[in-house]
Amino acid sequence: MGETTNERAISSSRTRASTVSRTDVCNGSRADRFSYIFAWELHERLLWFSKLRWVAAVGLALASVLGPFFAMPSTRPSLAVVAALVAAYNLVFVYVLRARFGSVNDYAALRGVAILQMVTDLAALFVTVHFTGGCASPVLPFVVFHMAIGTIMIEGRTMYGLAFAVCGAAGSLFVMEHLGVLAQYPTMAEGQLSVGSCVLSMAMLVGLVFGVVYLTDSVTSRFKMRNIELHQTTTELQRALDEQAQLERRKSHYMRISAHQLRSPLGTIKTSIQVLLDGYLDPGSPEGHRMLEGTAARVDSLLAIVNDLLELAKVREGRAKAPWAREVSINQILADIFDAVDPYARDANVELVPHFINEGAAVLDWAVPPDLVYAFENLIHNAIKYSKPEGGTVTVALGIDRTHAMVVVADDGIGIPGDLQDDVFLEFVRAPNAKHAEGEGTGLGLSIVREAVQMHGGKVSLESAEGVGTTVTVVLPLHHVPPEAEEAVLERRRMDVGDR
Amino acid sequence: MAQPTVLVVDDDPVFVQSVVSVLRTRYDVRTAANGTDALAAIQNDQPDLVILDVMMDHMSEGFDVARSLRSSDATSLIPIIILTGVDHVYNLRMEVDESWVPADRYLEKPISPGDLLHQVAELIGPGEARL
Repeated sequence: MGETTNERAISSSRTRASTVSRTDVCNGSRADRFSYIFAWELHERLLWFSKLRWVAAVGLALASVLGPFFAMPSTRPSLAVVAALVAAYNLVFVYVLRARFGSVNDYAALRGVAILQMVTDLAALFVTVHFTGGCASPVLPFVVFHMAIGTIMIEGRTMYGLAFAVCGAAGSLFVMEHLGVLAQYPTMAEGQLSVGSCVLSMAMLVGLVFGVVYLTDSVTSRFKMRNIELHQTTTELQRALDEQAQLERRKSHYMRISAHQLRSPLGTIKTSIQVLLDGYLDPGSPEGHRMLEGTAARVDSLLAIVNDLLELAKVREGRAKAPWAREVSINQILADIFDAVDPYARDANVELVPHFINEGAAVLDWAVPPDLVYAFENLIHNAIKYSKPEGGTVTVALGIDRTHAMVVVADDGIGIPGDLQDDVFLEFVRAPNAKHAEGEGTGLGLSIVREAVQMHGGKVSLESAEGVGTTVTVVLPLHHVPPEAEEAVLERRRMDVGDR
Repeated sequence: MAQPTVLVVDDDPVFVQSVVSVLRTRYDVRTAANGTDALAAIQNDQPDLVILDVMMDHMSEGFDVARSLRSSDATSLIPIIILTGVDHVYNLRMEVDESWVPADRYLEKPISPGDLLHQVAELIGPGEARL
């Protein structure tokens, strides 16, 4: 049987869950309860950032080679060294993220890694700024870019602290350069901006603009994707909740109807007994005797309802323990039923006609024989019961092909009113003409038939015309293997191995 | 003086026999097995009281018959007792919202013969005792 909507919804929301225990999730604060989601997000973003850092390392290496051509002779070999350092610590970060945090997403530890990455990247940036012109460095705007990336990954309070630190570091660098504590590496020659440095600035601007657009678009796209996923998950969960609520309503309705069906004959029994006890009728009189007979009949109908309810519950709930058997012959089941109901058919002046649509035995790989006997006997018994008073014919046809067996029970009896044909397989539904024709009946027979057929992977349907007759068709797959039977096979194998 | 007439409408013949055996000690009693027969019987010869079972050929058929009686000027004043087999809380809810189920009394099955006679007497008088 396929996944329910409930199972699919839960599965999709767990695709990114960590191995954080359910207790941690349930007992922590709201942020803690969702930290397993944040941890996964942060882990993914740190890995993505590591990929960007390779690009930065390559850029720094190129800058160290091309810098002299853009009025920045100090880039060689300084930026080459920075590029090597960036590549080295990026290797370490990637290793730590994959090996240490590959399966366990500890948000607090990941946050620490993110802050460490920010600090090392900013340090590398300021070294680059120092060797590419200090306060006039074209690389300086990348500090802004870097802080924007950091704010996406790390919460605001920490980033404000880093922002103060960055401004302080930049100011200190420029002051030390101005005071001569640190050497200056200007990109201007003789008070004029060189063409090379302008071209470089333009290139940096282009890179920064497209970088910011790419970053913003990437972040926005991720938000949109998350929103879509959230909406889909919410919709699936709502559908699952609605299904659950409908199931509960149906169960409640079923319980109410069942209770009423049981209560009704009990009410009659109690009232009849009270009437006799209070002396309104003499139990020894013919009328009193008739009332006692009627009361006894009500007890019988109550027992029949209880028995059918138990049968229905058994079919619905006891599937795992059902006596699944191999190689069950429908031909044999029908033959046995014919023998059993033949006296009843003759009493009702009904002719039972077996009909084989094609030759061959209809054998099911797996079946529960008692449930199939009950189902087919119920259908044939109903066909006889609801024949016209003067009698009639009930035809039971069996057909098979390579994959399915079909049993058709057709009568020329009282039929079912059109407005009830969709409902007759529901519990306790009995057509008024059926009640008039045959007072006794629990209204549960067809429900049990449907459950039994569905348990075997089959389908049951009916066509009927009031006053003309009813045809019920059962189609059963020959090679259906129910999950319950698979479990039975495994259990038998385990027992065989144990015996050896 | 003619005895008051009570029409008992229920599809359970055993229950009907019980109710008839109690009511005929004081009233003339007629019976019907479903709503259609009941309405026809009322049209032919109007009873003084109608006792209706709720569930007959279909759910709440008794309520349908009661509404039909109430909606006709000719029958709107006939007292009605509705017999239910549902729980007491459901009965109370019906009593609070009279516009939904227009009946004079609601009795829950199983009924006590003495209580039945008392409820009927309150609506149409005690009738004349018969042996």
